[in-house]
Amino acid sequence: MATIAAAAGISTRGPRRTSQLSLAWRRYKRNKLAVAGAIVVVAFIVAGVIGPWVAPQGYAQANFLDANQPPSLRFPFGTDNLGHDMLSQVLWSFRNAVEIAFGASLVSFAIGVALGLWAGLRGGIVDMVVMRLVDFMFAFPNYFLSLFLVITLGRNLLPILLAIGIPGWAGYARLVRGLVLGMRNGEMVEAARAFGASTGHIARKYLLPNITNSIFVAIAFGIPFDLLVMASLSLVGLGLRPPLPSFGNMIAQAGGNVLGYPWLLYFPAGIFAVILLSFLFVADGLQEALDPKAGEGHLRRTRRLWFGLRGR
Amino acid sequence: MGLARYLLKRLVAIVVTISLVLGAGYVLIYISPGTFYDAANMGQGLSQLQVSDPALYNKYLNSLNSRYGLNQPLIVQVAKYVWHSLTFNFGTSFENPSVPIIHQLASALPISAVLAFGAVVLAIVLGVPLGVLAALKRNTWLDSALTTLSMVGQAIPSFVLAVLLVLFFGVWFPGLLPINGWGTVGEAVLPIVALSAGNVGAVTRYTRGSMVEVLRQDYIRTAEAKGVPHKRVVLRHALRNSLVALVTVIGPTFAFTIISTLWVEQIFSIPGLGSLLAEAFPNKDVPLAITSVYILCLLVMGMNLLVDLLYRVLDPRVKLQ
Repeated sequence: MATIAAAAGISTRGPRRTSQLSLAWRRYKRNKLAVAGAIVVVAFIVAGVIGPWVAPQGYAQANFLDANQPPSLRFPFGTDNLGHDMLSQVLWSFRNAVEIAFGASLVSFAIGVALGLWAGLRGGIVDMVVMRLVDFMFAFPNYFLSLFLVITLGRNLLPILLAIGIPGWAGYARLVRGLVLGMRNGEMVEAARAFGASTGHIARKYLLPNITNSIFVAIAFGIPFDLLVMASLSLVGLGLRPPLPSFGNMIAQAGGNVLGYPWLLYFPAGIFAVILLSFLFVADGLQEALDPKAGEGHLRRTRRLWFGLRGR
Repeated sequence: MGLARYLLKRLVAIVVTISLVLGAGYVLIYISPGTFYDAANMGQGLSQLQVSDPALYNKYLNSLNSRYGLNQPLIVQVAKYVWHSLTFNFGTSFENPSVPIIHQLASALPISAVLAFGAVVLAIVLGVPLGVLAALKRNTWLDSALTTLSMVGQAIPSFVLAVLLVLFFGVWFPGLLPINGWGTVGEAVLPIVALSAGNVGAVTRYTRGSMVEVLRQDYIRTAEAKGVPHKRVVLRHALRNSLVALVTVIGPTFAFTIISTLWVEQIFSIPGLGSLLAEAFPNKDVPLAITSVYILCLLVMGMNLLVDLLYRVLDPRVKLQ
């Protein structure tokens, strides 16, 4: 039996698993770039956790006698004008980057999904008010709101995290509200109500699992954008205060010094670009995997741009 | 509804939105700790005065405050500020009390506008043909190469690309293209390229996707079946319909480009609106900071309105709401 099957090229190992998750994973794996991106993203997160322990020096340690050294055995990424070991700076920056990027997305997600669910489920005046607010947020670039918030809240890790995250709620809210409205009058919810389910129960058990796919994709697109905003804050002088290391800080300083010390640019900028690229590949792959019906045409591009730009 | 009514409605919405943004921004800066009048901006003399003669120091600060109206109740400050902004009466900044902001804007705004518009135009001029090419040759190596290049272009932030360009043209091949300042055509090349790279990628992918979808439509098949030359099918029928979809993406693209000019101007030392804003924010130069934000937001909202009107013109099926 087995040999006949083998000769015919049929597997005899039994049926393949057909759960939603494994189907999605199989779709995801088809996209080689997305898989490569996922590896880098995982490495990024790991670096964020163990970076400070692996770094040869603390981020504030300045070896004045060895300032402005090109890459060498002792300082693999060179040193900057104050003698900081760039390798350690980069390793320490991973932690700030991971914390701020994921934290900001979490904040946007929390506020946005809560408001979107509330608006979609309640309808009526709540829906109208929330939608007006969302329209307001989308009418102007939210980046300026982030700038104002940084000035108000300060330039430490948590304030910057909040400043980047708070203005981002509108994209999630609009997405979630749209999804909820689409499902609210569906048969599944109608049946649940017929059985006497409360609104909260419906939200938790029926709506939430079905919108997690889209939310997941939205978060995947949101994180690289938050990283970008965080790095750009340093360019306008509103980033993490030195000596706290951050990618934006390193790139901004490298920009000023690039004529004499190009290695200050290569490593931080290169690593930053690779991380951003990887997140984008992952997000694209996730969208293909989790939402295959989003289509190949302009609809998909619209969604991608929507998440990437989100009115900022 | 009629065009006039729609325009009026949108303009009112713009005014309301920008007033709220200005008001919120003003309040946020008002409640933030610190002030413009600290040692960094006012010099050593002031802090010495604070130590040696506190009464005189306070009197000096009070005179500055009353000169700028900062001692009025907050709600009055906000109302007055919003009203003056709407009537384009900007006053002077804290940093340069003798130069009216409107003069600073008059010299900085055209620069930023040219930079932003130039980047968007370049993105369209490069991106549309590339997108069409990728769509026509879809699933070949050319398509994959273009798509991957577009993604890379989109992923690399404009300020990273700008710094790379400074490296390339400043260190490796100095003298090919200037990397500072603004005034000649040569100086404009690198900043616009840095700004538009991401947009070119976006426009290319978008046009490609849109074209692929349009080319699948039945009316394209009909045209080809009827014997219309392939080139005309592509240019006249397919392209026009996908351009309509492209217009919708110009709005967010322009908004993002405006924001990116803040960063690119810093790197290339371009005296535009972004540089003004980047100086004003860390120093808490309230008038200049909020006014720059105001002008930039107005630019973005105006562009969005223009795009919506253009969309209506291009696609008669769209109803204004």
